Amino acid sequence: MGCGCGDCETMMQPYLDGMLSDEEVSEAKEHLERCPPCEERFRFEEHLRHFVRVATDEPMPDELRDRLAGLRSTPTA
Amino acid sequence: MTEGTPTAAETRRIAEVARDRVRFEEEALELSDQVFRVARRLVSSREEAEDLVQDTYGRAFRAWQQYQPGTNLRAWLLRILTNLNIDRGRKAQRSPDIQPLEEGDYFLYNQLASTMPDDNPDEEKVIERLSQNAVVEALAEVPHDFRDVVVLVDIGEFAYAEAAQILDIPVGTVMSRLHRGRRLLKKNLAEKAVV
Repeated sequence: MGCGCGDCETMMQPYLDGMLSDEEVSEAKEHLERCPPCEERFRFEEHLRHFVRVATDEPMPDELRDRLAGLRSTPTA
Repeated sequence: MTEGTPTAAETRRIAEVARDRVRFEEEALELSDQVFRVARRLVSSREEAEDLVQDTYGRAFRAWQQYQPGTNLRAWLLRILTNLNIDRGRKAQRSPDIQPLEEGDYFLYNQLASTMPDDNPDEEKVIERLSQNAVVEALAEVPHDFRDVVVLVDIGEFAYAEAAQILDIPVGTVMSRLHRGRRLLKKNLAEKAVV
C-alpha cells in the first residue's frame, strides 16, 4: 500500500495534525489527488484518529464534578 | 495607620482579587471534562484518574495567581496534572527503541485490509474491525513517554507546541514521540483486530 514515496509517510501525520504550511498543504492535496493509494491511506488515518478519540472517551463522573466544585475558595452561589 | 480599617483603595483591590479568583475557578471548572478525558488515558485506572484530577484542581486553586490570564488555561492545568502524575512515582520508561517497527505506518491498514474479502475495502469498514475495548487496551499498552504525547495531541487535541510546553520537552521530541507512539498504537491495534 502507498506509492512508495517516503515523503508521504513523513507528511501524512503533520498534515492530519494541521501542522503543515499552506504551501505544503496544497502540495499534499495535489499529491493525494494523483495518488489513490495515498488518498485511501489518508482517509483511513483520518477515520482511525476519530475512532480512537470516540472509543477512548469516558464521561467524567458527576461525583467528581461535585468534589471539584467543593475545592473552590468560595462556596457556589 | 490604623489597623483593621482598610482604605477605600485597599477594599477595592481586595474585591478585585476575589472576583478574579472566582472567575479563574469558574473557567477552570468548565474545562474539567476535557481535563478528565486526558487524565483518564494517561493513567490506567479510573480511580487514579479521578484522584489525579482532584489533586490537580486542588493545586490549581491554591496556585491560581501563578496562572497568567490570556494564556491557555487548559494547557496550564494539564501541565500541573502531568507533573503530579510524575511526582506520584511514575517511573520513566525506557524507550522501546531497540524494537524495530519496520512495518512502517501502513502496517495496521494492511493488516486489517488483508483480512477482508473485498479487494478494495472502504476505510470505515476496515476500522469497524476494531472494537472499542481493543482501542482502549492498545493505547494503554503504549509506553508512557509515547502515550503521553499521543493522548495530548490525539485525544486532548493540543497543538505540538502546547504538548511540548505541558510535558516540558522540545517540539521536535513531541513530533518524534508522536510518530513512534502512533505506530506503536497501530501495531497493538493490528494485534487485537478482529480477524
